[in-house]
Amino acid sequence: MQQVNRLSPFFENLVFERSDNHMIVNFGPQHPSAHGQLRLILELAGEMVVKAHPDIGYLHRGMEKMGENMIYNEFLPTTDRMDYIAASANNYAFALAVERLLGIEDKVPRRAKIIRMMLLELNRIISHLFWLATHALDVGAMSVFLYCFREREFAMDLMEDYCGARLTHSAVRIGGVPLDLPEGWLESLSKFLDHMPEGIADYEGLLDQNRIWKMRLEDVGNLTPEMAKSWGVSGPTLRGSGIKYDIRKEEPYELYDEVEFDIPFCDARDSYGRYKLYMQEMRESLKILAQLIPMYKESEHGLMAHAPKYLSATKEDMMTQNYSLMQHFVLVTQGMRPPVGEVYAPTESPKGELGFFIRSEGEPYAYRLKIRAPSFFHTGLLTDLLPGHYLADVVTIIGNLNIVFGEIDR
Amino acid sequence: MREYRPKKDVQKKSYYRDRFYVAPQVPREKIEEGSRFFDDVKSLGSKFEVKDSYVEINQLVVIVESSSIFEVIGYMKNSLSYDILNEMSAIDYVAKCGGFEIFYQMLSLSTTKRARIKCFLKEGEAIESVSSHFRCADWSEREMYDMFGIRANNHPYMKRILMPDDWEGHPLLKTYPLQGDEFAQWYEVDKIFGKEYREVVGPENRDGAMIDRYDTKRFSRIGHEVEYGASIDLGEPDTNLKYQEEKGVFLIKKLKPEISKELEKRK
Amino acid sequence: MAQHQVNYTKDGGLPVMLTTVDHLINWGRSNSMWFLTYGLACCAIEMMASGASRYDFDRFGTIFRASPRQADVMVVAGTLTKKHAEFIRRLYDQMTEPKWVISMGSCANTGGMFNTYATVQGVDRVIPVDIYLPGCAPRPETLQYAAMLLQQKIRRERAFKKLPKKRLV
Repeated sequence: MQQVNRLSPFFENLVFERSDNHMIVNFGPQHPSAHGQLRLILELAGEMVVKAHPDIGYLHRGMEKMGENMIYNEFLPTTDRMDYIAASANNYAFALAVERLLGIEDKVPRRAKIIRMMLLELNRIISHLFWLATHALDVGAMSVFLYCFREREFAMDLMEDYCGARLTHSAVRIGGVPLDLPEGWLESLSKFLDHMPEGIADYEGLLDQNRIWKMRLEDVGNLTPEMAKSWGVSGPTLRGSGIKYDIRKEEPYELYDEVEFDIPFCDARDSYGRYKLYMQEMRESLKILAQLIPMYKESEHGLMAHAPKYLSATKEDMMTQNYSLMQHFVLVTQGMRPPVGEVYAPTESPKGELGFFIRSEGEPYAYRLKIRAPSFFHTGLLTDLLPGHYLADVVTIIGNLNIVFGEIDR
Repeated sequence: MREYRPKKDVQKKSYYRDRFYVAPQVPREKIEEGSRFFDDVKSLGSKFEVKDSYVEINQLVVIVESSSIFEVIGYMKNSLSYDILNEMSAIDYVAKCGGFEIFYQMLSLSTTKRARIKCFLKEGEAIESVSSHFRCADWSEREMYDMFGIRANNHPYMKRILMPDDWEGHPLLKTYPLQGDEFAQWYEVDKIFGKEYREVVGPENRDGAMIDRYDTKRFSRIGHEVEYGASIDLGEPDTNLKYQEEKGVFLIKKLKPEISKELEKRK
Repeated sequence: MAQHQVNYTKDGGLPVMLTTVDHLINWGRSNSMWFLTYGLACCAIEMMASGASRYDFDRFGTIFRASPRQADVMVVAGTLTKKHAEFIRRLYDQMTEPKWVISMGSCANTGGMFNTYATVQGVDRVIPVDIYLPGCAPRPETLQYAAMLLQQKIRRERAFKKLPKKRLV
């Protein structure tokens, strides 16, 4: 299929020479340090960015439309592909929204809640490690990339042992979790917990006092609290501006009010402060995971909520009881019919506030499904954050905001 | 007779409806004295016309007129300390009542209260942009325009954000099919090769369940490779295909399985 | 003294080696495939993982290059959307001959689970593809296997093919 194509040279909106001596640079949409498919159109005066115009949508796959054309359980694996670095966090956010809509949030068994929290925190570590790896690679520290992926693979092994997939987990279901922890998983987890602080110490040893790292991060990307609020910034980026708001603490879901952990935050407002924050967050996640192990051991068996109107019964019931089997058949072929109403459920994903807005009309298909993705607003923030920085700092800022295009474009 | 399909709503529908099934309603609490949101609603009601207000799943819902939305959002931000606009978008009700429902999801950082401001907008009308209150509304409103075709007045840059600039149609409307109209289906071919190449490239295969086992033009099975386009109706030969080519590779030592070590554990 | 003399007649002692030009060039090409990192979505993460510590892709002579002018193999890792389709064609045109394409993951192969208005239903509608990798997302081992298969394919090819006419973009 070697065809001659009719693509004209791509200068449509690029003016190279202008009367005011400013230059327009096109960055992306396929740039190795754009963290996906970001296209930035930058106006430069010398080496200083005067105006930045992020152009997104190169990974728009129509997920919200898909959500309107799929039954709720069918849509769950699609959420994996949003923030593909921490897939379980998306699964969970969607499951939580549907559970709140159905009113079965409290019926989820304790063990399922503990397993979910384990997955969420493990995903947070995976995501933060990946963030550090790519951010450091962009800034020029290649070896950090290799070190981070070393630990990340161990965390991925744990995820793989639990659900069988490395990247797209679908490990959380509406109403619970599909599986109990496999044998020996907790031992592997505690081994990982013992090993991980050494890894974090390694990265900090490489970066904390590294002159290049400090020069490139300190005082770059100053995000004032006013700007952060105005842009709807959330997660570690918001806390890096000195606003201490974490949904896990303020509006606790699952068992986050039972475990002890701190919310790291800093007033530095710059990229280096946010880097320190991410490292601290990983430690807090380890702390939560360590508390969850004894909690799991004490919990009673039970993985899915009991709500026969909406959720299938256990396999055992289905095989022995006629009515359970009928119900399962209806739920699989037609889908559950939630009550009429709206729900917005915010969760603290590794990137920030991830929320699903669902409008249900009592049909098995959502009438409207809106995904509130944190990275969407973080990318918009680039418009205001980039001007005044040098061209070389653009890559630092993009890397530091921790954006993932699966959830920006959806 | 062909089944009649309503054109105004091409969303997938449940194939079975129980005639006697009445969907329950998510419980809505009235706002009475002592409620978390009582003061907010009272002060909002004294300034603006509030059509309805209730609490749904721990979040305040206020329905106001679409003409006063700019002032309401400003009041919420400045006087009631709802300092973050989490999300805003629209819901398509064109088929049902000829318009859109627009919602603004807000959060107060200091009191951790969440509120949803809603208003109804008729089809073809434009909403006042709130991007001077919240910068993030800039992008949200562009997305709303892209997906629904709702314009925002006084917006700094009212252009498509997710779809390409030359796109036709607004994808999240209920009249827009999931798999796209004709323009969408041929978009990349038209743009790259031109319309005359539609026949060369062929239509998209949208059937996820389609398997043509005898198609040797597009796929060759590993280990059963035949020539391009050859007929395999009578079965295909085994082509012994391993990474180790039979005579070995030039200058590369042959792998000796007997001396290679198999790790028991990856760590 | 005589025992240190090289025996030219015995196998292995020969300082010369005979081969065909085809063999030699293909050997070089197949063992130094430079990949263009065309990371689009989820599969890009697995592509990075296969280049990182545990899966160490450099063993196959592959180096990830960020510029199409320096790359031989384009790995399309992820969903190709309609908005992006023209850029993949542009970058493919900018690559120098000989060039190969690996389509990584279900989305790149057929559109995968995204049977929607915004997704190109397979990159082979836009650029020619040599190897399709199944999986969502394929594991790094799958990408390694694809690299090995591609090496095999390259070795079987004629080194000097008639090249299609170049055009400037």
